[in-house]
Amino acid sequence: MTAMAEPLGAAVVTPKRVGVVGFIAGMLAFWVALPPIHARSIVVPVILAALAVAAGVYAVRGGSVRVGWSAIVLGFIGLGLGYLATRSSVGNLEIVFTWSTLIASMLVFATPLMFASLGGIFSERSGVINIGLEGMMLMGAFWGIWGADKTGNWITGVLVGMAAGGLLGLLHAFFSVHLRADQIIGGTAINLMAIGITGYAFVQLYGTENIPAGVSEIPRLQLSFLDRIPPDTVGNFLYGAFGRLSVMIWIGFLFVIIAHFVMFKTPLGLRLRSTGEHPRAADTVGISVYAMRYFGVTLSGVLAAAGGAFLSVGVISSFNENMTAGRGFIALAAVIAGNWRPFGSLFFACLFGFSTALAFRLGDAYRDSVAGLDVLAQMLPYVLTLIIVAGVIGKSMPPASVGRPYTKQ
Amino acid sequence: MTDAPTDRPPPERGEPTTTAGKLRLKQKAGGIIPPILTAIFAFFIGGLVILASGANPFDAYAGILEGAGINWFWDHFGNTDVLDLSTFNLTQTLLRTTTFALTGLAVAFAFRCGLFNIGGQGQYTMGVVVGVWVGAYWSDALPAGIHVVVGIVLAGLAGALWAGIAGILKATVGAHEVITTIMLNWIAFWFASYCFGQGGPLQNTRAGSESVPISDSVYDNGVFIPILWGDEGLQALHYGIFLAVAALIAFYLVINRTTLGYEVRAVGFNPEAAAYGGISVKKNFFLAMAISGLFAGLAAAVDIFGWKYTAGTLDVQASAVGFVGIAVALLGRSTAIGVGLAAFIFGALDYGTTRGLDPEVFDPTLAGNLSLMIQGLVVLFVGADLLILYLWSLRRKRFASPRMSGKGA
Amino acid sequence: MSRPTVLEMRGIVKQFPGVLANDDVSFDLARGEVHALLGENGAGKSTLMNILYGLYKPDAGEILVSGKSVSFSSAKDAIDSGLGMVHQHFMLIPVMTVAENIVLATEPTRRGVILDYDTARARVRELALQFGFAIDPDAKIEEISVGQQQRVEILKALYRRADILILDEPTAVLTPQEATELFGILKGLQREGMSIIFISHKLNEVLEIADRITVLRRGRKIDTVPREGATEEGLARMMVGREVLLRVDKPPATPGEVVLELDDVHVRDDRGIEQVSGVSLQVRAGEIVGIAGVDGNGQTELIEAITGLLKRESGRILVEGREMSTNASPLAMLEAGVGHIPEDRHRYGLILDFTLAENAALHDFRYPPDSRFGWLRPKVLVERTRRLIEEFDVRGGNPQTKARNLSGGNQQKLVAAREVDRDPRVLVAAQPTRGLDVGAIEYLHRRLVEERDAGRAILLVSLELEEVLSLSDRILVMYEGRIVAEHATGVTEEEIGVEMLGGQREAVA
Repeated sequence: MTAMAEPLGAAVVTPKRVGVVGFIAGMLAFWVALPPIHARSIVVPVILAALAVAAGVYAVRGGSVRVGWSAIVLGFIGLGLGYLATRSSVGNLEIVFTWSTLIASMLVFATPLMFASLGGIFSERSGVINIGLEGMMLMGAFWGIWGADKTGNWITGVLVGMAAGGLLGLLHAFFSVHLRADQIIGGTAINLMAIGITGYAFVQLYGTENIPAGVSEIPRLQLSFLDRIPPDTVGNFLYGAFGRLSVMIWIGFLFVIIAHFVMFKTPLGLRLRSTGEHPRAADTVGISVYAMRYFGVTLSGVLAAAGGAFLSVGVISSFNENMTAGRGFIALAAVIAGNWRPFGSLFFACLFGFSTALAFRLGDAYRDSVAGLDVLAQMLPYVLTLIIVAGVIGKSMPPASVGRPYTKQ
Repeated sequence: MTDAPTDRPPPERGEPTTTAGKLRLKQKAGGIIPPILTAIFAFFIGGLVILASGANPFDAYAGILEGAGINWFWDHFGNTDVLDLSTFNLTQTLLRTTTFALTGLAVAFAFRCGLFNIGGQGQYTMGVVVGVWVGAYWSDALPAGIHVVVGIVLAGLAGALWAGIAGILKATVGAHEVITTIMLNWIAFWFASYCFGQGGPLQNTRAGSESVPISDSVYDNGVFIPILWGDEGLQALHYGIFLAVAALIAFYLVINRTTLGYEVRAVGFNPEAAAYGGISVKKNFFLAMAISGLFAGLAAAVDIFGWKYTAGTLDVQASAVGFVGIAVALLGRSTAIGVGLAAFIFGALDYGTTRGLDPEVFDPTLAGNLSLMIQGLVVLFVGADLLILYLWSLRRKRFASPRMSGKGA
Repeated sequence: MSRPTVLEMRGIVKQFPGVLANDDVSFDLARGEVHALLGENGAGKSTLMNILYGLYKPDAGEILVSGKSVSFSSAKDAIDSGLGMVHQHFMLIPVMTVAENIVLATEPTRRGVILDYDTARARVRELALQFGFAIDPDAKIEEISVGQQQRVEILKALYRRADILILDEPTAVLTPQEATELFGILKGLQREGMSIIFISHKLNEVLEIADRITVLRRGRKIDTVPREGATEEGLARMMVGREVLLRVDKPPATPGEVVLELDDVHVRDDRGIEQVSGVSLQVRAGEIVGIAGVDGNGQTELIEAITGLLKRESGRILVEGREMSTNASPLAMLEAGVGHIPEDRHRYGLILDFTLAENAALHDFRYPPDSRFGWLRPKVLVERTRRLIEEFDVRGGNPQTKARNLSGGNQQKLVAAREVDRDPRVLVAAQPTRGLDVGAIEYLHRRLVEERDAGRAILLVSLELEEVLSLSDRILVMYEGRIVAEHATGVTEEEIGVEMLGGQREAVA
């Protein structure tokens, strides 16, 4: 609206930057009340929140609307949460906010999302919407643990799970690419079928008993050297957060890097993206749109299933019906929020993972004081997804031709 | 504007771009045949699965038919004595038909507006929460008749509100209703679990049952829908079925004969033309979702006040009526008659594969999952039979090929 | 003149559902010639070339390249045989760079896996230099101008070592000046030995650039003639099969009072970029005001602001002296008396899955007599539609027919019928005859003039300069969001062409 700063300062103090500062201040308003800083007086959050809101208003008036409003909203939220935190007992806060365990927990919950969202990226970048990530994940979860049980080896188990997901992906590809069916309906069908198939097979193969105990588990990668990093607090933190993570979490990180590389630095990635942006253009230079899309969608099934297999083989060593609980959709939200880029969706997967981890810890800590909080807290990841979807979606730029079937003449 | 040469590649001229459009495009050409074919094909595949697990498909399906009471039509026609097994089975099937008709309408109405309402389950759940709250926890200051009506209305409104959230998000920021409704499903899931769970606000107040996560009974409070056919001691068909029929009729009238229906259909087929014609697309997105949610909430109402009378966390977590509604709406092509018939088919399938099924013939747990698979197959094939129709219609009538109109051959 | 034949198509037949697109068409191309394929929309030109380029498979016939029979099953085969095609809708990916687009599918790599972007960039620069283009390899397609995008398309073909170049309606998106530049490039390529096929429906261009001209009509080849001796009238007659009125005969206008007035209107598009920068104009009753301009200079946004589809930033719009609010909805503008024949009837004008009766009621369904208290009255809708069908000679169905079953021309007639029937004070016609056959075009043109004579105010916006010149009583030229010139009838295409480019460039000799 108006250029409020003089020319010399204007270049440095842009409304957007001020808005970002406000954003950070809003987050700090809550964070200072937590371990390890433990600010107990309400004054500190109030000041930071006020700063956030003021900065946000400045940003909005300067034209940086989204950043500005985020800062304002965050300022209020930070104030509210900061207030709650200062009221809460130090002991409880300690239980919840043992940051190292929180981070470790976050990574555990984020990993299935990571895998599934990588799958989503490959599928959508090739032009096919994949709502069926949930179902593919579930297939991976069941057949993964079945495979681990039957072969006694977690590696083959996970591979079996991934193959099952790949099959489902192939089915989705067939219906979406060759038959040009509506991709959202097709994806929903995949989900329904996956629930049915895994439920059916679960009962058929395991009857009334559960998966037997002692199934081969995914090992953890011990990084004891982290503990020895001085000073003590840092070492403890690093070890607690990263020192005992499942191997598959590290594999997940690796996959993110590989996915980014393939997508943006190789000819394969360029061609894949072209079929998602402008399939006819790709066709006219000789790229097989069908082949690319089959590849992208089948791969998405494989990756989503890997995420599911991690859930069953890596986390609980068992299977429950419908155990993916909507994670496939959260992964999809991570894809969109992350702008169809591997590192972007990694960030959001971690965000969602963090909310789940927090939900569990909140439940543990406050179980006695507030009845049913552990149940209520389970809503957190879904509420967060809803907010992010609402806030981010409107301006997202998907691959131009995603969701539109291609007709090859 | 002439698509500037490098705008998004234009859709083939004249081809529908919305889900509703695609579904409608093919519906007229085939009438009732494709849905029947779809159903037959899905059941056929189901039969193969049964075969693969070692049972005889014909026996299994016969068992399911008997379990659903379908044999009443030829064996026991006219018999109203509910102690006769097949009559009883039929009443149970009709009981579920009532529910599925309403949840089917919840999906169908949104489909007509081009929206995919997967949130029927969450809307239903919120209807359950409000229904139980009004029915069991409000004092009996109101005369019983009014109390029931108030309960039904408020449960419906709860569903409408819940769906309305997704509708508003779609209308304002363009958030895709598939993701938002699924998130809302899970939020409702946990909210209801909290309400009916240990220490929750709607947990029962009966002495000795403090650890049972179930609510009080609306029946005990004197608030229920009278029985139409059956014995009060057993589960019986109630007058709610007339509500379902009324809803189907209302659906037909609103969609086809009112200005609201005109607007909803216009937006469903071509939002841009609708906007140009002065129709508010945003308003209709919201209304379509809200009305859809209303149907789902009413489904909850007839279930709670008609035969369930209570709700518990286990019921909430195991319920899948919202998802069956999706298959019902798709099979029924989002028309009133279609939804009604499809609801009956799925009602029969649901009861016939679970409670009604003689375990000697086929394991009910397996059969339950089988029914889920069949649902998924139905949804999948709806997407595919569209193409079969497309090919069929190409041969039959002069079909103005998209390539010919306006693009310059 | 015996240049070797470098390409031959014999007896090509291609059938689409309901339409015989190519009916035994034969065609040959000599080395180093520019051969034009002339025909109306629907004549089969694009189909023929899509077959040549491997995008379609012919039902019968054969193709020979340099005397050898070939069969292309994909574009790649065609490319390998030395063909390159510049499509009417560019086959470029907006979010990717020039270099990425050019090397797609033939990317240089390091160690076989990594995309070697530096090499790609260097090669693109080399190639551009060789043929005299100025192109930035790192620019994203969505950032460069349409004329430059077209050059990228040409470079794509050259990169793949094409020696036969096919251009499909290349000047559809260019100003007269840019078209002349393109012709210069083509002549240059011709000198280097390139053989060129040029698809067009514009008679004047074809006469300017081609060595030989093949005319197609309704899927059949009518004749192939050399440029010497060919005339516009002669070609037009071959294209259409009868005498064609190239200009509409109309009596002079007698304008009345001002019905529509715009005063310093500014409009931003949905991305926030200003597209209309201070437009003022007046349209009087009984006159046709035409706006000429190249696509993308703000015409669309201007129309959307006038019809209420887009909010304007500032400025006034007055209908019959009444000022319309900035937030006026499409409904409000309709009720104020602004009728609109939209430029994309499939997107805006019609709901294809609705019946004709339902479509005819699109603006009025919420009022009596069409409905009462929210309840529709089908009989009223059907009656009115029957009347419109008769009056406007809409063929192909009755009120219960779905709109998608009508041909393009009849669909447009229905839209026009609906709009005119509402008796608007001012009619805004945007590209009203796009994609229509000559018969429908003639009808609509005549009808517009009739409406003008009946006292209606008409604002015409069209990308077809001929249509604007032939129909308008006054012509406004729009460039970069402003009206840069105003003319009465009698102005030439060249003069307007210059103004369409801002009057800053001189006509290239």
